[in-house]
Amino acid sequence: MHEFAIATSLVEALLELVKKQSASKVLEVHLSVGKLRVLSIDQLKFSYEILSKGTALEGSLLDVEETPGYARCTNCHYAEKLETDDFSFHFSLPQMTCPQCGANLILEGGDECLITRVRMIAPSASSAVPTNEPR
Amino acid sequence: MVAVDIRLAKPVEVVTSAEGEVFDVELEVNILRENERLAEENKSRLHSKGVHAVDVMGSVGSGKTSLIKSMISQLKKDLRIAVIEGDVTTTIDSDIISSEGVPTVQVNTGKECHLDANLIRKALDRIPIDRLDLIFIENVGNLICPAEFPLGSDRRLVVISVTEGPYMVVKHPMMFLGAKVVAINKIDVAAAMGVDPNKLSADVARLNPKAATVHTSCRNGTGIKEVIEKLELKNR
Repeated sequence: MHEFAIATSLVEALLELVKKQSASKVLEVHLSVGKLRVLSIDQLKFSYEILSKGTALEGSLLDVEETPGYARCTNCHYAEKLETDDFSFHFSLPQMTCPQCGANLILEGGDECLITRVRMIAPSASSAVPTNEPR
Repeated sequence: MVAVDIRLAKPVEVVTSAEGEVFDVELEVNILRENERLAEENKSRLHSKGVHAVDVMGSVGSGKTSLIKSMISQLKKDLRIAVIEGDVTTTIDSDIISSEGVPTVQVNTGKECHLDANLIRKALDRIPIDRLDLIFIENVGNLICPAEFPLGSDRRLVVISVTEGPYMVVKHPMMFLGAKVVAINKIDVAAAMGVDPNKLSADVARLNPKAATVHTSCRNGTGIKEVIEKLELKNR
């Protein structure tokens, strides 16, 4: 249900980037989203499609790479990858105590929500500005 | 929505950038960063005034409002309290709370299913935080989305009730991970519901061994004192 809010932030960040790069159009957007973010990727894409209409993002491909989370022991080296159930956004958590030594497990990773790569079309001659801004 | 910070974490890598050509930019922009930044700002703002904030989460009908009201009636003689009430549209909850005579701000999220740090920032402008000790923030009744949006509170209370059935905890694990206290509410009707509250407590302990679990009934007052104790609201 929070996909729309996240898609809104995504579109704002991308439009800012388009401005900064003076790009005329965005072709592809690549995201890295942790599985523990409980985002429905279909809903995210649907929201993105609606929100990008009429902007430089319209018609661009939204590609989402999902990254796993791990339950890791705070004491020994035990770690277990968290598997999802029937739906990508439904999963159950393991018992949060270590099966090897009994210490507490903590969650690690699986919480990213990053834009990792954007493919754009460079500005046309009429609006040409440097694309590599000094930072 | 506020502007999103897009400072690039990695150098911009331009593959091709001639006019009209396609180029790639590699970056690491955290989409949720703006909310996280605002939540930190809210937290330091409250901290600098010595105000504690409790984020109260739980489903619609779990008893969040009743529990907040019960706690306020026990705490208000010692502490200066305000409440931020998050709801999709109505003011029913803030009307109930304001009968306790504490300042209440209603935040309607409209289309959104959760409060975010920016809404809390605006709500904090409308309450006298210089003259407060404690703020309860009642989130929108929802067990999924609010866990993704930190608000700037310094402790979290999750409220579930036996009327929500025996699988409430295992079905919504993320909500319980950050909780300091989990209240298992409506304990007075547990037998009628055929739900074992001890089983719910055990589920919480399995996910979050650090969380305190308290069985409560706002109708007969069971466990309210203990929730206050476990939240450490009086030690200041």
